[in-house]
Amino acid sequence: MPQADPRVYVYGVLTGADAPNVSADGVAQAHVRTVEHAGLAALVSTLESEELAAAREVRAHWRVLEDASKSATVLPVRFGTVLEGDRAVREQVLEPNAERLTEMLDELAGRVQLNVRGDYDEERLLREVVRTSPQVAALRDRVSRVSDSAGYYDRIRLGELVAAEIAARREQDAALAMARLEPFAVSARAEEISSQNGAFKLAFLVESGEMDTFGEAVGLLREELAERVTLTYVGPLPPYSFAETDLSVGTAAWA
Amino acid sequence: MAAAARSGGGYLERPRPSGLADVIDVILDKGLVIDAYVRVSLIGIEILTIDARIVIASVDTYLRFAEAVGRLDIQQADESQGLPELMESMTSGGAQSKTKGALEGVKDAISGGDDDDDDDKKQSSSSRRRSSSGSSSSRSRSRKSS
Repeated sequence: MPQADPRVYVYGVLTGADAPNVSADGVAQAHVRTVEHAGLAALVSTLESEELAAAREVRAHWRVLEDASKSATVLPVRFGTVLEGDRAVREQVLEPNAERLTEMLDELAGRVQLNVRGDYDEERLLREVVRTSPQVAALRDRVSRVSDSAGYYDRIRLGELVAAEIAARREQDAALAMARLEPFAVSARAEEISSQNGAFKLAFLVESGEMDTFGEAVGLLREELAERVTLTYVGPLPPYSFAETDLSVGTAAWA
Repeated sequence: MAAAARSGGGYLERPRPSGLADVIDVILDKGLVIDAYVRVSLIGIEILTIDARIVIASVDTYLRFAEAVGRLDIQQADESQGLPELMESMTSGGAQSKTKGALEGVKDAISGGDDDDDDDKKQSSSSRRRSSSGSSSSRSRSRKSS
């Protein structure tokens, strides 16, 4: 049965007591408001428009969460989440998950996400691979002596070996960075690397009051990795990586 | 770059505020997932997240690595070669531009300037076109059009 409510885009969930201050426009340039229930509040905006521009909406989603997180602890909801209306937000998300959401929010209160990414300089990395792997060096020599077409399979094999060497280094460097930083965080996650030159991508949940201590550990890690890996240290972020839970609620009655 | 300040013995680093490019992956991949029965998906937008994947282990990648390794000028005298020279030989060889994967392209499109409304529209309409050929469209859409 269709409902009268217009659809709503959902950005995140926070405790009802935290009044977020969101000045940024929402998805499809709509006004951002809250739908409150069971001591919780969902950050939403009405979605009237069918004209969604992917690039613009990703940016809107990001800005709304950045804004709201300045004054409140917000559990970010996965980008692109749209519900049937305010009622659905209350009855199908907040109500059945109230306990779990409250628990998660309590756990995240006063904590921030900090991301530490490491990137290789590709050329330096490849050099190191050739220098340290006799197998790679030998195959490289062989490939260089024949034409591209004659050496096709050797070239694939060479690339495979190089890729495996890089994967091994990634694993080592990720483990090292994790070992150095994890002790200063409440929680940590290694995330999938999304670029060719990525060494590692780590997300940490850190007490707001411990950011300096964590920052010192980052500084030491940067020294330790020296020029092999370039570190990028970003934050504080809404705890995207620590809100990764499926809210499985029952099938909607009208579905 | 993160601002690094010396304090006593070590470096105390302050994180730099995130730009969209820093967090685009987490925005697309992370966060609370609301059950599919309850949500009305923005199918066109979800396709974007699939586009944002790069295939790391592919023949193309292997060939690219082989080419990049072959391009390295590694001889006995190699260790003494200056860094500027190396940089030059790398960039002039064009290997750098080839390392730009599909992901960076998508990211550039997303995290680019604020006023690229034309791009936005194009992307949106192409996503929608693809989505209509995909699985069952969203309930809301069929409702609106009826």
